[in-house]
Amino acid sequence: MNFVSRGWGWSLLLLALAFPFIPFGDRTQFVQQIAVFVLSSATLALSWDVLARTGQLSLAHAAFYGLGAYSYALLATAGVPQILAFLAAGVIAALASLLLGAVTMRLQGMYFAIATLAFAEVIKTIVNQLSFTGGPQGYLVPALLGGDFLGVYYLGLGVLVVLILISSFILRSKLGFAFTAIRQGELVARVLGVDVTRYKLLAFVISSFFVGLTGAFVAGKTFYITPPSAFDTGVSVVALVMPIFGGLYSSAGPVLAAVILRVLEEVLKLVAPSAYLIAYGAILVLSILYLPKGILGLLERFRGRK
Amino acid sequence: MTSVLEARGLTKRFGGLVAVNNVSFSLEPGEILAVIGPNGAGKTTLLNLLSGVYRPDAGQLFLNATDVSAKPPEYRCQQGLGRAFQIAQPFLEMTVLENVAVGAMFGAKLNLGDATSRAEEVLELTGLSPKRDEPAHNLSLLEDKRLEMARAIATNPKVLMLDEVMAGLRPTEAKEAVGLVKRVRDTGVSVLFIEHVMPVVRDLADRVIVVDYGEVIASGRYHEVTSNQRVIEAYLGRDDLEEDGAA
Amino acid sequence: MTTFFQTFLNGLLQSGIYALVASGLALSVGVVGIVNFAHGEFLMVGAFIAYALLAAFGLDPIISLIPTAIILFAFGALVYRSSLRHVLKAPELNQMLLTFGIGIVLTNMALQIYGSTPRTMNVAYQGSSLQFAGLSIGLARGGAFVLAAAILAGLYWVLGRTRTGKAMQAVAQNRVGATLIGLEVDRLYLIAFGVSSALAGVAGVMVSVLLYASPYVGLVFTLKAFAIIVMAGLGNLRAVIPAAFVLGLAEAYVQTYVPDGGGWAEAVFFALIFVSLVWRSWRIR
Repeated sequence: MNFVSRGWGWSLLLLALAFPFIPFGDRTQFVQQIAVFVLSSATLALSWDVLARTGQLSLAHAAFYGLGAYSYALLATAGVPQILAFLAAGVIAALASLLLGAVTMRLQGMYFAIATLAFAEVIKTIVNQLSFTGGPQGYLVPALLGGDFLGVYYLGLGVLVVLILISSFILRSKLGFAFTAIRQGELVARVLGVDVTRYKLLAFVISSFFVGLTGAFVAGKTFYITPPSAFDTGVSVVALVMPIFGGLYSSAGPVLAAVILRVLEEVLKLVAPSAYLIAYGAILVLSILYLPKGILGLLERFRGRK
Repeated sequence: MTSVLEARGLTKRFGGLVAVNNVSFSLEPGEILAVIGPNGAGKTTLLNLLSGVYRPDAGQLFLNATDVSAKPPEYRCQQGLGRAFQIAQPFLEMTVLENVAVGAMFGAKLNLGDATSRAEEVLELTGLSPKRDEPAHNLSLLEDKRLEMARAIATNPKVLMLDEVMAGLRPTEAKEAVGLVKRVRDTGVSVLFIEHVMPVVRDLADRVIVVDYGEVIASGRYHEVTSNQRVIEAYLGRDDLEEDGAA
Repeated sequence: MTTFFQTFLNGLLQSGIYALVASGLALSVGVVGIVNFAHGEFLMVGAFIAYALLAAFGLDPIISLIPTAIILFAFGALVYRSSLRHVLKAPELNQMLLTFGIGIVLTNMALQIYGSTPRTMNVAYQGSSLQFAGLSIGLARGGAFVLAAAILAGLYWVLGRTRTGKAMQAVAQNRVGATLIGLEVDRLYLIAFGVSSALAGVAGVMVSVLLYASPYVGLVFTLKAFAIIVMAGLGNLRAVIPAAFVLGLAEAYVQTYVPDGGGWAEAVFFALIFVSLVWRSWRIR
């Protein structure tokens, strides 16, 4: 699973750091927007993967994304300094996930997934019905960092890099063993001394913190949120499609998938503005059927053949 | 000398069925205790109660004089209660070494490096070293069982609980397994094991308790217990005796 | 008081369709073991078939039921053969995603062909209703309920009385055991999934009349069907109908009695799923 070896990792980082300065001519704005989108998607995808490592397949990402978005919007509007509001969004999402995680602790597999989906829908409805959130009409969001592209880009990149570091640390440490053991046999893990409750909640909190940040990030970039957009089930879908497509339980897989799929999506949108989702769905279907270990798995097979 | 494991009046009901009924026993340090009884007698349920998979409806359990009755399995393991399941459940996508390392890391609370070393030792002890880097889903039945035991041993238990590990083993393999259990005991571990294969029980057990319909019906040394009338009845079944007109 | 009973009636009638959709999903989950996230989209396809037949041939939806059922059965069988069969042994996650993907493709194809504006069916009986003891029963609604009840009765008869049906129940209750005694599971799965799709399609025809045909109509029904089978207990085909009643009634009462009930009604289903799942999970040990 070491496709992103030191060399590759550093070069990609350098590329990412230098990116805003690469001239794209009159396509620049367009490419820049895609880049930011890729960053937020990658963060979303990787955070889902971190949680999935414990066997918790969550469909509640939309809930934490939305909570992050609204937390940022409400706090920043109330005068809280933007960076604080941004971080608070992550914290609020994390705390909410603690609650959800504790309550669903004994649910497995599909039952867990459905419970989290139900949770997300309930949260969406509540936010939609409340008045101080602006209800169905939505809410104006103060522009993050004044809408300055460089600032926004590096913030997004920074968040992603931190998550990648955390994810890699988990993979290489005792935490990784705990997560994997829980995923592959929760009861057995318990009997072997793994404090399952603690690790599952930890995974949830880490994951949701970053999802909350992503929600705030996108909200601060799009300047306007409504319950259907902030709590869109599509967010949960994207969050899980990417790790599967890219390669589960790795740092590189979700990120790689985010890059490939988002770029592909934009290209498809240009070619067939309304039909691109058909292609997206088809890609999903085909990758499940033919790429069970995702893109990373495919690459490993090639490496194996060398 | 306090018992290393003591059960007092453990009871477990499932709906209307009493699976384990007022079971009390103690396990002394360095002792090997066998739990035998007819099929369906509640032995595995008892083991589940001991390891914390089930909560008792009544009764208490003491591990090294600490009351663990309400504690979850992971706590009990960290305090020294190791368990190997009857049907081996390895972490399929992990290697043999990694499987065992999990036990060392969390049950024995070692760091990554130490846990790996400990795991290597245990693999050596159980004869699994050649399969060190093999994904667990590739193992044969025998290797599965050995892995099951290795994992439990790696948690550095004070009490090791085994559930029918001899089932399906050929005589030579069973002999090896018996030797392994004795070696483990010699390192200071007390053993409680459920078994059906009587020659193994005779060889291995210091003491035997017999469970039938969830109750302890006899306790003592192998010869005492196997010549106990009630035990014989339990195994043969009361019907036979009624048919013979003896009941 | 009349409101109370009217609400009850509305909930009851609505639960007929819910039971139909949920039974289809229950077959898929219980018998085949596949969590079909595209189940609602199969319903959507049924709705559009009814719409297309009406628009092109003036065919009344009641008559469209039969060709729709057949088309969806074939479609379901095709989907099973070509893709689902290959992920039966894969982790649940993969199955979920596969059906997700299929759902996305179907929704967006419908979007391409018909656009996002819902298409209403102009049939004579759509607006009329029966008045009975101070209560009002929509003709279409009542008819749909009766039809759904009849179909479900037929389904349960097949499940309980025919060899194939009993085999399906056996598989739903014990998958491994069923294969061990030599049941040809692949053929059973094919039939079960086909029937599941057909049920969704038929429900779709009803939905097209009672509501409209829209590319997005599927998701809501998928989720509600899930709510029902989760409450009934996965694999438990019999408990689906009572569960459908509970949810249909709960939804109706929230809609009527809770202020701004329409907005909260959606959450009712989900809150119920969540609570029942969590409640059940804490009761074992």
